[in-house]
Amino acid sequence: MGKPAERFDDVPKRARAEATVVLGQRKLLQRLVPGLIHAAIFWGFLVLFPTIVIAMIGAVDRDATLPWLGHQEWFAVLVDVFAVLVLAGVIGAAFIRKVQRPKRFEGSHLGEADLILALIAAIVTTLLLWHATRIALDLDESSPVSGALGGLFGDDRTTEVLERVFVWAHVLIILGFLAYLPHSKHLHIFTAAVNVFFASTRARGHLEPLRFDGPEDDMRFGAGTVRDLTWKQTLDTFSCTECGRCQDVCPAWATGKELSPKLLIMALRDQVFEEGPPLVRTADGFEPSPLVPNAVTDNVVWDCVTCGACVRECPVSIEHVDHIVDLRRHLVMVDSRFPSEAEQMLRDVERASNPWGKPQTERSEWAERLGVRVLEPGDPPPEVLYWVGCAASFDERARTAAESTAALLEAAGVDFAILGPRESCTGDPARRMGNEYLFQAYAEQNVGTLNESGVTTIVASCPHCFNTLANEYPDFGGQYEVVHHSELLAQLVREGRLQPSGDGRAITYHDSCYLARHNDVTADPRELVAAVGEPVEMEKSGKRTFCCGAGGAHMWMEERAGKINEERARQAAETGADTLAVACPFCTVMLDDGVRQRGDDMRVVDVSTLLVESIDGV
Amino acid sequence: MRILVCVKRVPLTGGRMVLTADEQAIETRHLGFTISPHEECGVEEAVRIVEQHGGEVVVLTLGPPEAEEQLRDMLAVGADRAVLLTNDSGEEWDPQATASAIVAAIEADGEDFDLIVFGNESADSGGFQVGIRVAHALERPIVTGLKGLSIEDGKARCEQEVTGGRDVYLVPLPAVVSVLEGINLPRYPSVPAKLRARQKPVDKTTPERPEPKLEMLRLVVPPGQGKQAEVLGHGAEAAPAVVEMMREIGVTR
Amino acid sequence: MTVLTLIEHQDGRADELSLQALALARTLGETEGLLVGPGAGEAAAELGAHGVRTAHVAEDDRLSAYAPGGWARCVTDAIERTGATAVVAAGTNRGNEVMAHVAARLDLPFAANCSKAADDGTVTRVRWGGSLLEEARVHGEPLLLTVAPHTVQAAAVNGGEAGVQRFEPGLDEADLAVQVAEHVETVTAGVSLAEAKVVISGGRGVGSAEGFAILEELAGLLDAAVGCSRVVTSAGWRPHTDQVGQTGTKVSPDLYIACGISGATQHIAGCKGAKKILAINSDAEAPILASADYAVIGDLTEIVPAITEELRKTR
Repeated sequence: MGKPAERFDDVPKRARAEATVVLGQRKLLQRLVPGLIHAAIFWGFLVLFPTIVIAMIGAVDRDATLPWLGHQEWFAVLVDVFAVLVLAGVIGAAFIRKVQRPKRFEGSHLGEADLILALIAAIVTTLLLWHATRIALDLDESSPVSGALGGLFGDDRTTEVLERVFVWAHVLIILGFLAYLPHSKHLHIFTAAVNVFFASTRARGHLEPLRFDGPEDDMRFGAGTVRDLTWKQTLDTFSCTECGRCQDVCPAWATGKELSPKLLIMALRDQVFEEGPPLVRTADGFEPSPLVPNAVTDNVVWDCVTCGACVRECPVSIEHVDHIVDLRRHLVMVDSRFPSEAEQMLRDVERASNPWGKPQTERSEWAERLGVRVLEPGDPPPEVLYWVGCAASFDERARTAAESTAALLEAAGVDFAILGPRESCTGDPARRMGNEYLFQAYAEQNVGTLNESGVTTIVASCPHCFNTLANEYPDFGGQYEVVHHSELLAQLVREGRLQPSGDGRAITYHDSCYLARHNDVTADPRELVAAVGEPVEMEKSGKRTFCCGAGGAHMWMEERAGKINEERARQAAETGADTLAVACPFCTVMLDDGVRQRGDDMRVVDVSTLLVESIDGV
Repeated sequence: MRILVCVKRVPLTGGRMVLTADEQAIETRHLGFTISPHEECGVEEAVRIVEQHGGEVVVLTLGPPEAEEQLRDMLAVGADRAVLLTNDSGEEWDPQATASAIVAAIEADGEDFDLIVFGNESADSGGFQVGIRVAHALERPIVTGLKGLSIEDGKARCEQEVTGGRDVYLVPLPAVVSVLEGINLPRYPSVPAKLRARQKPVDKTTPERPEPKLEMLRLVVPPGQGKQAEVLGHGAEAAPAVVEMMREIGVTR
Repeated sequence: MTVLTLIEHQDGRADELSLQALALARTLGETEGLLVGPGAGEAAAELGAHGVRTAHVAEDDRLSAYAPGGWARCVTDAIERTGATAVVAAGTNRGNEVMAHVAARLDLPFAANCSKAADDGTVTRVRWGGSLLEEARVHGEPLLLTVAPHTVQAAAVNGGEAGVQRFEPGLDEADLAVQVAEHVETVTAGVSLAEAKVVISGGRGVGSAEGFAILEELAGLLDAAVGCSRVVTSAGWRPHTDQVGQTGTKVSPDLYIACGISGATQHIAGCKGAKKILAINSDAEAPILASADYAVIGDLTEIVPAITEELRKTR
């Protein structure tokens, strides 16, 4: 369970994450009220930590305490304030769990959580009461809250006994709590901070490659059993607090499917707890069982669209998508156990170099019609290489974005060319399916073609291509300046090289997961929309966007249960806008399907096409 | 059981045919390659039989040096050994020449094959005869067009689909068969199998090409291509026009 | 040139594809026919209407079940009897198989699936199931060829009655080593793909196994069979028996409706035999439009139900 993972790079960045996410509770505060409640309890415990030592000293020797800190009046005030905050937090948490009962707790161990809240309340209450009795006995200086409580006790024998009772109760409850910790999700207080430190510093859309050179016995083909998990993955499973924020934002769960990121991590954790000990004790001879289907069903693995909403929400930096992809890798590369409709796509990528299975020669047909330059081997490289992507090359609905982008680049006088038949699939669908071997074959091939051509700057109109070229190809020797077409077009508009005119119609923009969440590109496409009409935002927008349903190779897989694309189309229709702007070929096709299936009167159109239509003479 | 499967590397042409300037071949620059679909099923069938009865599967092809790629793919599916009869002339061999090269290779191999498997016809030239010629030269029975195959007691039970049902043949081994796609669903090879396939042996020889008796003069794209379909309409509103057309043809009740 | 044509037959009638082969044979010269198996005599009689001068009927009880070697022997014997300089058969599975055996026995070249032939040995062959043609020269005599289905029109001519000559082929054991041992009937529900007058096929554009429901509904109204492309069978949405294509079933209906099928040559090879092809596709540039007679551009999930409704309304 301790397979290697590359997590020791960029220590300064890791330290910063520790400061903001752990100390600053940044991700928890993405939901304000529960975040504040947890922050109160967390910061409270940080401040109250020395009081545990003081209590243990005081339990043994009534008159002893921590040197210096134990005598600071300001510390006693601080303790009082934070003790109250913790209690307030616990009450708030109890209210949320018992009265509001949010759906994200479906599947979590609620009894365990209630016990922990009760223990926390007991710890803080016994602390306050102990201080109160000590103040009443004139052993300590008064402090606001404890002092007020102290008024309940007289300076007498009963109070002397109570002072001993409270301090021992406090210490014993703490010790009991510590003993209980490793058997509950509260283990996170040790593991979470470490997990955050070791979270990936690479772009969110980056997946860690596997290695296929070297002896077969040393090779790792993804996660088949607990033995294959990397140490980071194992740490992930120990850090889960069952908070359910991930479950709440998962588009698969929201449309009635089996996948819940929270339940996935919990199931893996349970398997690690069950099979980890025998595995570690008996080096050979214990065969751990396959994770799929014993811990996790096939449906759960394949329902995922790799949108990353779960990873974004997780306060303890669990990387659910990495787990899913690793499970897929083993299923696809070793077991050949995956949805049959995706098999044709994998065979097509392998044999025809694109997931549509169409001849590569067709890639340049639209370009030839428009007179776009196709870069031949040996030609001088253009200023910008336009990476068209398979969708725009082979699907007629996605093609309009390529045609629009080419027309705009032409009009703005940008020196650009396409690779045409020499552009192979970036390998993204194969990689998200779990076929890392096939992906790497294409990564190496494409990097070879690009490096030979001397290209340094690439613009891509597909966020999946963009993500792979920018974040994943560097692992294979491909370093280029990569921009998304919305970024380049927005820059051209800012520079005045393109002059759109707006007509004030209401346009709502759908953020593509691979653009907004994985790569932080949210402002530029909005600039384009604002230049053409009146932007209207959906509730789930920007980095909180709701997936269109095509990610994770789902463009080629069937959806069981509810339809993610229809749900997003519903969210778009709610804005009342009659134009739905997108910046991704998959989103174009999925949302267009969704709109049609719902019968809405909405036009789904790429930002480049909106721009073209708003400029005279293009 | 020792089974030999003969395969052919063919291009993935997609929807349109483009010829080289000299009209002697399809323009394959930028095209992907594969094995004829019937033959893929043949390899899968052979591997399944050997998984059940034990033995060895050998894949053989007559083709350009690049055909080794297809042989490695079949080794990943489960074949044990491969034979490449290299044709670097850039020209296709006619069926008689192909058959005699295969027969020579089988005879050079020495040990007997219990079963020799062909695809019913190759995807490109569709000659329908190489398997039958090889069987004739080796004086073995051949059953073609199989949708079902099983080996029991030294006999092959062969099933063909015909109108109304299936015809069954029983032939003693050693025998030759040609199979059709649909006889099985070929497996998706695992990556460990692909890596192991890189190490499996591929024997290469370069046979001499005899004079072609079926001599290809040139290839021609049939004139029908590029026909313009009459667009009856767009979307659901075309329905009346479609029904009108159906009436005219006479297919409506 | 004397041309011998192998005629396949069923229930006493000559097969359509063999009659097509006969039409090509007549372009080469005087035609004599060869029929084998039970019912041959009956079928022989009507060949005069297709220009056959003499029909040779091979009779042997041992040929009551099909045996490719046995049929090949009949052909080689008939070549001797007639002095034929060319032998033609239909490009069916059986026709190709028998002629390949003949070619192997005589060590002669054999051109399968021809659409044209001339007496100097030049032929035009069909490749890729029909998407490409090959012009070739056959160096050997007699000229052995089969005729690609639906590339030549069968035509009746005023030929009078064909003379029927029966003969006993010189069969030996080896000729009968491979013979049909058993025939298993299978019950097919609904209209069979190969025989339907209308076939409605779905491709990638249908989207899923459930998506075929609208095609099934339309098929119900037209007594049509439902087929599919290879992409669909690979995805596991429909069984291989429904596949139309070069490696699936080749159909020749009056009307073939291709829904959401892009038109790879693989698929076209299976449906070119159709009299009329209607393509329903969202892509106006899809290759299938180059092989179709009619097209409707748009979303098939809207168009197909609309056609179904229109048919119901106007019945």
